[in-house]
Amino acid sequence: MIGSIEVRGLSRTFHTTVRRPGFAGALRSLVNPERSVKHAVSDISFDVASGELLALLGPNGAGKSTTIKMLTGILTPTSGEARVAGVVPYQDRERNARNIGAVFGQRTQLWWDLPVRESFAILRDIYEVPKAEHAARLREFDEILELSAFWDTRVRHLSLGQRVRCDLAAALLHDPPVVFLDEPTIGMDVVVKEQVREFLRHQVEQRGRTVLLTTHDMTEVERLAERVVLINHGRLVLDGTLDEIRRKYGSTWQVRATLADAHTAVVPPPPGIALLRQDGPQVVFGPDGSGAPTVHQALKAVIERYEVTGVAIDEADLEDVMRAAYVHAGPAAEGV
Amino acid sequence: MNAVRIAWRITRLNIRAQMEYRVEFLLNIAIGAIWQVSVIVFATVLLARFTGMGGWDSSDVLLIPATRMLAHGLFVLFLGRLHGVGRFIQEGIIDIYLVRPLPVHRQVQLQYFPTNAIGDLTVAAGLMAGALSRSQLDWNAGRITYLLACLLGGMLLEAALFTTVACASLRFPAADYWGRWLEELLGTFGSYPLNVLPKAVGGLLTFGLPLAFVAYFPAAVLTGHGHDTGVPYWLAAASPLVGLLAYAAARLLWRWSLDHYTGVNG
Amino acid sequence: MAVLHAWRAARVTPLGELHAPPRMTAVLIRLTVQVVLVASLWSGLYAHSGPTAGLSREQAITYAVLAVLASRLRELDQYAGRDSVLQHMHFGTIVYWYLRPLPPARYHALRALGEQVYGAAWALAGYAVCLAVGVVEPPKSAAVAGVFLVSLLLGQLILYFIMLLIDQWCFWMLRNNSAVLILIFAQNLLSGVYAPLWFFPDWFRTMSGFLPFQATLSVPLSLYIGRIRLADAGGQLAIQAGWVVVLFLVTRFLWRRAARRVVSQGG
Repeated sequence: MIGSIEVRGLSRTFHTTVRRPGFAGALRSLVNPERSVKHAVSDISFDVASGELLALLGPNGAGKSTTIKMLTGILTPTSGEARVAGVVPYQDRERNARNIGAVFGQRTQLWWDLPVRESFAILRDIYEVPKAEHAARLREFDEILELSAFWDTRVRHLSLGQRVRCDLAAALLHDPPVVFLDEPTIGMDVVVKEQVREFLRHQVEQRGRTVLLTTHDMTEVERLAERVVLINHGRLVLDGTLDEIRRKYGSTWQVRATLADAHTAVVPPPPGIALLRQDGPQVVFGPDGSGAPTVHQALKAVIERYEVTGVAIDEADLEDVMRAAYVHAGPAAEGV
Repeated sequence: MNAVRIAWRITRLNIRAQMEYRVEFLLNIAIGAIWQVSVIVFATVLLARFTGMGGWDSSDVLLIPATRMLAHGLFVLFLGRLHGVGRFIQEGIIDIYLVRPLPVHRQVQLQYFPTNAIGDLTVAAGLMAGALSRSQLDWNAGRITYLLACLLGGMLLEAALFTTVACASLRFPAADYWGRWLEELLGTFGSYPLNVLPKAVGGLLTFGLPLAFVAYFPAAVLTGHGHDTGVPYWLAAASPLVGLLAYAAARLLWRWSLDHYTGVNG
Repeated sequence: MAVLHAWRAARVTPLGELHAPPRMTAVLIRLTVQVVLVASLWSGLYAHSGPTAGLSREQAITYAVLAVLASRLRELDQYAGRDSVLQHMHFGTIVYWYLRPLPPARYHALRALGEQVYGAAWALAGYAVCLAVGVVEPPKSAAVAGVFLVSLLLGQLILYFIMLLIDQWCFWMLRNNSAVLILIFAQNLLSGVYAPLWFFPDWFRTMSGFLPFQATLSVPLSLYIGRIRLADAGGQLAIQAGWVVVLFLVTRFLWRRAARRVVSQGG
């Protein structure tokens, strides 16, 4: 309850004006605009337990940001319900605000003209954080994010990586039990990304914060999230662990084995596994498409059934899995 | 020729883009007109109250705001996008321009279509028509040619001033602030016979911020006050040339500044 | 605690300025040059004529210089700090205003208050210098000074609400250029910054009597120079107070609509 998120049948519809092509079309739109309806999010339900990190995945335009905006209280859903730490965010914005922290990609909430520490001080007073607590938390954040090297610099002079780290700290300074991060590491270098991940892990594991994260960086998902929710075209496609996603869409693992005796390969492979290629003693197995086992189960089965002298596995990486999942989950998402 | 075709094509797209925002589009035309009407009201109010301003007949004085506003309208239409340079730099747009195979200056000008210039020019043309009809002068071909040259000169001079500010904002993004002040100064002090001001102040507005060359000197020369402007007659008469030279110099400065542009925030 | 966040929000602008000395130099230069220009323009205009429109030379100069100083109160580089509604809408950062336990309306008011106080320091310094040099005349009596101060305060409140209207416009129009220009134009012309309203034709003065703009500057400054007599001051102050109430209600209504707009569009 402390930091849990409950989402029930959440939907959001937008009305937009369609622009007609061409010069005459522009003139006509000027006089008589044409409206159209877009279902950004349709009937999404999921839960996040207190102290859990959940990755919300999906191609561009899938409805991730809209979902996060509804959960932060910025956007009112057309229908359905959401509770964040027991509060309905869009009904009780201010109470919800104290429970959550949020970072929206590269959009900074820091004061452009002031040194970073001044921004922290303003937020401290807005959220009414006691001074000692504020100082202690800043020290804690500084240990991982190394903010003190530049927190006396004015925001306008910070690099992107520095600024996003400061924004992350700014969002967590009031000790919110729930944190929303909309593509927090977009455009950052690998060192900073790793720093941010370590920080997030620390916040989840040591501080027990609930984190809802959207990202397109699959390494990040692998390092941070045990559970993912996949949405596409505004609909929930899958809610489960990474392994489940792999099992469902990641049909591309291969087990390459060197047989002790090339001529014994006639033994049929275990159920769910297919022999893809054979070249003398070199054989390659892959899933046969029907309830394929995980790569680890397959490896075990292969070693049990055959006399092998060497074995290697090629696991499809998560990027490939997600590509398969996005394409599988509906017609190709709108281009970038 | 190709450059003209590209410019025209982009301008048409820009006009279309402006129409996307319905209210804005109409407001923009209105604002140009209203703004200029305010200058007219202001100028005529003072003209009516202080007749014989600076020893000028009031029909002659009217020629100053008319010239200044028409030159300004032309500037807004053809070269007015320089105000935005500070913002373009902040938002990284200049960096995009720098990698395109078109002059940056032209790309800045083609950034958007200045809808408000339609209003500006309409009112300015009206004021000019009013000033000319009230004028006692003989408007022969020579006078009219000189007036046209002065309008172009005034346009170029204003463009030169804003190009200089734009150069400054390539180095110091805060220079935008000066641009806004410059616009205000041109609007408020560009419409009077500057000989009502003390010599030092008049000198400042001639040699410091050369707004005297935009409308005051040309109008003085046209109306026969050319000998008591405080500068040699030939200099006042050469106003169009001053505008041209200032603009050429400003463009050189612009090119130099672009070569030394280091970007913002690394 | 509320005092603390008020203090923090209010000092954003002054602090930003203090961190940017070139900007302060710019303000100083601009203020000086503008005062000199305006003072010499009006003494030049009055060189060959006596009192005009009920204003003597001294009154006109005092009015014009005070107008320059007073417009200093809120004429900072609004966009340098990237904390204007326009920019927040443009960069999509307006969402953070609605993610904090501080209502956006109060935050906006606190920021403006800090800006006004900071501007007032400049205006006051400029006033002291002008008074010492003899460019402006002191108020005729303590009563005039007192009424002027009350009227100026009301005028600044009205000005705040007008600026707020411009900002609120951005919630509906992503680009507020034209609306802002129209309001700035109205503010400059109808408040009497460019020229005292007394010079304008009667129809113009009647029209501006129905609008809030003259209450921001023209009324307090006319009280100061004695163009509005003390006996008439009560009515003028009442009109100003009336505008404060009306504009407060309008802007409060718009804040609510803006919040609804944000929660239906997502900022």
